[in-house]
Amino acid sequence: MRDFKETLKNCLREEPPFCSCACPFGLDVRDLISRLQRGSFNSAYRLFQNTVGFPAIVAQVCHRPCAAACIRKEKDEAVLLGKLEQAAVAYAANRRPNQYQLPAKGKKIAIIGAGPGGLACALRLTARKYEVVLYEKTNRIGGCLWDLLLPEQFLAEFELQLMYERYELKLNCEINDLATLTADAIYIATGPEGNRFGFCGAAGASRQDGIFLGGGEQPADAIATGLRMAGVIEAYLKTGLMRQPETRKTTRLVMDAAAIPFAPPAVTDGPLTRDQAVQEAGRCLKCQCDACLKHCDLMRYYGKSPGRIEEEVEVTIHPGTLDGNGTVATRLIASCNHCDVCKNVCPQGIDTGAFLLQSQRSMQEKGAMPWPFHDFWLRDLEFSNGADCALVRPAAPGERSSYFFFPGCRLGGSDPRYVTESYRYLLSVEPETAIFTGCCGAPALWAGDQALLQSTIEQIRRQWLDLGRPIAVFACVSCRNIFRQFLPEIESRMLYQVMEQHGFQPPVTAAETARLAVFDPCQSEDDPELHRAVRVLTEKAGCRIADEAELPLCCGWGGQVSIANPPYFAQVVRDRAARSELPYLTYCANCRDVFAGAGKPAYHLLDLLFALNRHTGREAAYRRAPTASESRQNRRLLKKTLLHEFFKEEAPMSENRLPLRLSPQTAEKLQRDLILLEDVEAVIRHCEASGEKALDESGLCFGHLQIGQMTFWVAYRPTADGFCLENAYCHRMSLGGE
Amino acid sequence: MSESTARKLICYRCKVELQPEKTYFQYLGHSFFTDIPKCPVCGLVYIPEELARGRMAEVEQELEDK
Repeated sequence: MRDFKETLKNCLREEPPFCSCACPFGLDVRDLISRLQRGSFNSAYRLFQNTVGFPAIVAQVCHRPCAAACIRKEKDEAVLLGKLEQAAVAYAANRRPNQYQLPAKGKKIAIIGAGPGGLACALRLTARKYEVVLYEKTNRIGGCLWDLLLPEQFLAEFELQLMYERYELKLNCEINDLATLTADAIYIATGPEGNRFGFCGAAGASRQDGIFLGGGEQPADAIATGLRMAGVIEAYLKTGLMRQPETRKTTRLVMDAAAIPFAPPAVTDGPLTRDQAVQEAGRCLKCQCDACLKHCDLMRYYGKSPGRIEEEVEVTIHPGTLDGNGTVATRLIASCNHCDVCKNVCPQGIDTGAFLLQSQRSMQEKGAMPWPFHDFWLRDLEFSNGADCALVRPAAPGERSSYFFFPGCRLGGSDPRYVTESYRYLLSVEPETAIFTGCCGAPALWAGDQALLQSTIEQIRRQWLDLGRPIAVFACVSCRNIFRQFLPEIESRMLYQVMEQHGFQPPVTAAETARLAVFDPCQSEDDPELHRAVRVLTEKAGCRIADEAELPLCCGWGGQVSIANPPYFAQVVRDRAARSELPYLTYCANCRDVFAGAGKPAYHLLDLLFALNRHTGREAAYRRAPTASESRQNRRLLKKTLLHEFFKEEAPMSENRLPLRLSPQTAEKLQRDLILLEDVEAVIRHCEASGEKALDESGLCFGHLQIGQMTFWVAYRPTADGFCLENAYCHRMSLGGE
Repeated sequence: MSESTARKLICYRCKVELQPEKTYFQYLGHSFFTDIPKCPVCGLVYIPEELARGRMAEVEQELEDK
């Protein structure tokens, strides 16, 4: 956890934008622009005034190094910040400075030169109630500004900004010897050509205590230096230390100019109207690293950056109170899709997902993660790896296998033929291919259940060794990545690459001339070869690919977050489904079923390759997602089919199903709440065997049973041939205790 | 009063009507109680769907986010 905090030091989120770093004043351009975008000219003016001292002058004379730094110029034209500053000055209702009632400091500063730099220093020091004496060798203040602006422009501004401050001005008073001055500190602001009294070097503290140098080739530089040096002088007066002013900020910010939408300025001549200023401010990108916030669904949903997430997760795992109050990020931790997008898009490679997975583990180990968030999926893992579904067999008894096909649990759950047809094909190109059905352990990984993950992985390792260390063939990227991480000794291939390499020719039908958008699964970012193979096969099947995505994103399934955070899950699915209007072509069973469940037409690549689910041209795209109960039934059926078709064994269905009728509406309700038919059957069996049930006047039976930690309720009627289920629901609380 | 809470329920084993009675629940280390229909003889309980989906679900969520 501490490692992540350390890693976050590399985060670019807080890096200043290029323009602010180029600005002599270090103006917070993002803040200024935000205020202008809202049309808050008063607020924009106040920020500008606080930063530059003499806003009406700076808005006119600044030499605009920000324009050279503006990334917009790579695309069209730099943001017209000068005009925006002028608009802030022009449209501010109240331009008066703030009046500060502070006690006099009792220290005196002599400022030599009443040009813009000297006056800027005087402005800050007098506002802090230091005694200031300005010495000017000519008969007027303003220095170089006389050559740049009309006197009424800058003289009025000096008068306005200094209206509440008192200072002594000595015109026609040339200082030739600093020793003649009686002051606690001296600021030399005599301009580029002025007397430096023997001091050389840049603006800052001189080698002599109490004497400070101004500087700046441009008037804006001189003003900025004057304002900055006022702080340096004050620090000296308070501490006696001759410190140098802070160096100008630099930035590590990285921005992709290519991604900037083309938007040249609407108006370039003359001053901007209010509306034009708001419009021009809208051109500013407010450069800030937001790669993760832009692409990561979780960060976008919660509006939280990695830094903020780290803070909230930290107090959640280590709450400051004994009763654990303040565990603000429990659901956030459990909502990460673990799709690797945050890491893939971060210019610094910061892996917030890995941090959240580690946090999930910590919460799990503490017993602080609510059990329902992952309970269903952990039970599903147990089912997939149980006797009903799991099958590990070499192609021929006793033979060493060169390959083994690991389809993953969800593929057969979606449609058993995805597995049987793929296996049939693999045997045709590599007869020594074993079948290895079951779950890779992803639910345990995502739940943070280390012990279960370890035992699952160890079981796989033992079975792999028994098969003779064959090469794995995967149909699921998530399974492959789990193997890569926890079973790195197992060499692997993706099914689709094997098919492409062997020149597999899918059947081409007229219906398959459709345009499809390929939806690459998350965690496939680093596999362009897989992406290529999938596209080759898709086109061979007669489909045209369009609407390519910028990068692989999660369909919503990752991390199995749908129970922990249903609204977030729904939002992610909606966003992903809306990426393209075309039907999706997926090669992940979860993506396929998630989209189909959301009403988004989606094919699995295997639908195309083996001509499955294609009764009519578009029907496959609308094949509804199997319910949780059907997914289990499909996995049972898969094992039975594999044994029958490939090993000539007849395996009776091991389960003893209850004859149960239910309406489609009730079935839909069960699916929505992830209540399995076998759970319903268990409750009814319990009620019937024990008599623990209540009846209403109509004879409807009500009963409940706690299975694991979840309590299930059913309302049912016994019928001549079994039972009719009228309702079922569940709750997480358990009955009993005081 | 909702339909299900108004529903007259008979305990199948004891043949007596369920009566509202203070019943305790537990979740995530917290304990609380409410009145739900209960068999006065054997203690069989009934939790109506609107209670499970309503107040109970709200409390569950609150405790998960606590």
